[in-house]
Amino acid sequence: MNALLDGMLAVFEPSVMLCLGVGVLVGMLVGMFPGVTATMAVALASGFTMTLEPVQGLAVLLTIYVAANFGDRIPSILINTPGTPASIATTFDGYPMAKNGQAGLALIVSALVSAIGIMASMVLFAGASVPLAQLALRFGPSEMFAVVILAMTIMISISSKSITKGLLAGVIGLFIATVGRDPITGDARFTFGVRELNGGLDFIAVIIGLFGIAELFDQLLTHREHKIKPISALGRWWPTKSEYKRIAKPTLVSGMVGLVVGIIPGAGGDIAGLLGWDRAKAASQTKASFGKGNIEGVAAADTASSATLGGSLTTTMALGIPGDSVMAVMIGSMIVWGIQPGPSLFVNQPELVVTITAIMVLATIITLAINLIRMPMMVKLLDLPKHYIWATVLVFCVVGTYATTNNLFTVTVMLCFGVVGVILKRSGIPAGPIVLGLILGPLAESNLRRSLLIDGPAGLINKPISAVLIALAVIAVVIAISAPLMARRRAKASDPVAHSTS
Amino acid sequence: MNYLNSIVKSVAVMGLLGVALASSAFAQDGFPAKDITFVVQAAAGGASDRTSRAIAAEMEKDLGVSVIVENRPGATGTVAFAHVAEQPADGYTIGFGPVEFAIAEHLGYDFDRADYTYLGQVMNSPVVLAVPANSPYNTLAEFIEASKTKEMSVSNSGAASSFAATTFTLARMTQAKLVGVPFDGGAPAVAAALGNHVDAVTAGAGETATAFADGSLKVLAIFADEEHPKFPGVQTAKAQGYDLTFGAWGGVYGPAGIPDDAKAILEESIKKAASSQTFLDAITPAGILPVYRSGDEWKAFVDAEAARYAEVLAE
Repeated sequence: MNALLDGMLAVFEPSVMLCLGVGVLVGMLVGMFPGVTATMAVALASGFTMTLEPVQGLAVLLTIYVAANFGDRIPSILINTPGTPASIATTFDGYPMAKNGQAGLALIVSALVSAIGIMASMVLFAGASVPLAQLALRFGPSEMFAVVILAMTIMISISSKSITKGLLAGVIGLFIATVGRDPITGDARFTFGVRELNGGLDFIAVIIGLFGIAELFDQLLTHREHKIKPISALGRWWPTKSEYKRIAKPTLVSGMVGLVVGIIPGAGGDIAGLLGWDRAKAASQTKASFGKGNIEGVAAADTASSATLGGSLTTTMALGIPGDSVMAVMIGSMIVWGIQPGPSLFVNQPELVVTITAIMVLATIITLAINLIRMPMMVKLLDLPKHYIWATVLVFCVVGTYATTNNLFTVTVMLCFGVVGVILKRSGIPAGPIVLGLILGPLAESNLRRSLLIDGPAGLINKPISAVLIALAVIAVVIAISAPLMARRRAKASDPVAHSTS
Repeated sequence: MNYLNSIVKSVAVMGLLGVALASSAFAQDGFPAKDITFVVQAAAGGASDRTSRAIAAEMEKDLGVSVIVENRPGATGTVAFAHVAEQPADGYTIGFGPVEFAIAEHLGYDFDRADYTYLGQVMNSPVVLAVPANSPYNTLAEFIEASKTKEMSVSNSGAASSFAATTFTLARMTQAKLVGVPFDGGAPAVAAALGNHVDAVTAGAGETATAFADGSLKVLAIFADEEHPKFPGVQTAKAQGYDLTFGAWGGVYGPAGIPDDAKAILEESIKKAASSQTFLDAITPAGILPVYRSGDEWKAFVDAEAARYAEVLAE
């Protein structure tokens, strides 16, 4: 009880509240800037927070982490450009909603469910960190491979129009991911002697190219046709009662997905968002409109990816193993402050665990409030003439991408993928599965090969977790293939003409 | 963030203007007469960054000019190395040179060790070998003997790392059947050992310290010349009969051809900084040890390390 009180009181100091405010501002700005990730912001801020008290420092860094997660969704919805990889799945339904004149609604729902996701994950963090972290350790290379294979089955569901084109896109993504160094031997692959390709194609540059720049080029090419409705038609802001009811189920389903994925080290908000979106689609009654501006899709993607925050924090604090790249930077700062993450932290410094939870919850509430209040002003910006908006977007994308590697080559990669993106779009090949292949390919390959190095092929099926997950993946594929066939047969059977002739 | 950067830059420019005015008034001609830029090859927040900032802060006090730390991460550090090589060799641009100085050239990066002036090594983060708490092995000898009959998996942070090289060299030295399993970073490699997915892990002292302290990993050996304060009771590999040292070391370098007088002043200042208490306080919590070598000693050491990695990475 004392620890609870001490931990709470530590947060309500004026200096800590000031740090929280700074964190919110920096985080929201960073999130909205495509290409500039929370990791970069936290890394920069960690230089300034070195000399602060631990609680003050944690207030700045954790708040940036939370606020960036909110800010992330805004460019995904408004300009089809994920602020960071974590909000890739947001673009699937968020941008179509905006194009349908429901940008306001999408933004509000996104902010609401992000808050729900973070809050739910913090409950788990505060209540069950140590046992959950032990569970996370059971995910070795073969289990990770199985998770990734299960996630790959999503390719089928995000290729909405044509499964063939979707799978083709997935294969393109897998191929792009093989460029660079072999994860196990370190040999160069498909670099064609270009030294800049040694490190692989920069992931952020590729997604900004495929989503944001491709959209920009597309608008550039079609602006005379006046086909595209300007997004400034925002529509109403707040969901109706029936919409609240509709998003309840996807929020619950994908929230669960996000919580589980968050705890697995190495799998973050990007994979959670995609998996959550897919699971919610499977559970939805309006499957057909997923990917075309379904409010449930936005809710699912954002709940799932936000719910990973607490999970990452859990593995970080309870094991001393960073749950994601932001946490990796934060562990460095914590060690300087004399905080040693690990199972003993929960026994020796329970008040610190309370403080961390309190900071995360407060940061979420404040960011949510600011988001809800300032959203109308934000979106007013889009009333500006289109040529101003897209010019600004281009500048932001170039600067943000340059900042990821400090190398102009990365910007070239982004622009090239913008062109590729337009071509693919015109030929009806969706960008979603490409990104999925790009994210999952390296994870699948490296974990499969690690697992083979350790145990040989038997290791994949004689471990219970990986065996179950691989079986689930197989079932998912079988269902996906057989469902249309079954539906056709049933349609035939109920058709009286077909019936009489057979 | 970028506008922050530009604020920092404009402040720096104002500062520079001030210094320029002041120095013209006094007509100084000794080194250093203006601010020094210290280029770090990694993002802010990591071990390289922490070491560099601590050294820069001490040099600032000693030299009486600002030492501005600039992070230029990317391509195993070669983005930063190339940037420094292109700057005028007047001593006003220096940088942090990590163990990649001995590795990058073997990986096909456009990097030549001869393009630089070596000003002094300041730190070393030794490699350790650890096994899960429930492992039957308690000494390096037990582990090596057992692995002569049974194949053992040993995780590490990546294919071209000093950790992978440790496993490889140890196996070749002893005829043990050790299979190196590269992960994507040190933390997942340690996690694989904690979860009993591999038989052992080679990792940095900082990455294993937590698990060692709470008893979830047994550290069998440390590949350094001396025992490590973070691992009381753990012997060096050498003391256990395996004469092998490996570590993630680092030092300060500049472009080739820095004039002798400026080089001497920088070397002296780096030596002082590397032995200061503030520097020690900044690096030791992360398991990094202060190890000093003068510019020429360090250069010879880098050449020797590069030859050793050439052999390992050729396999």
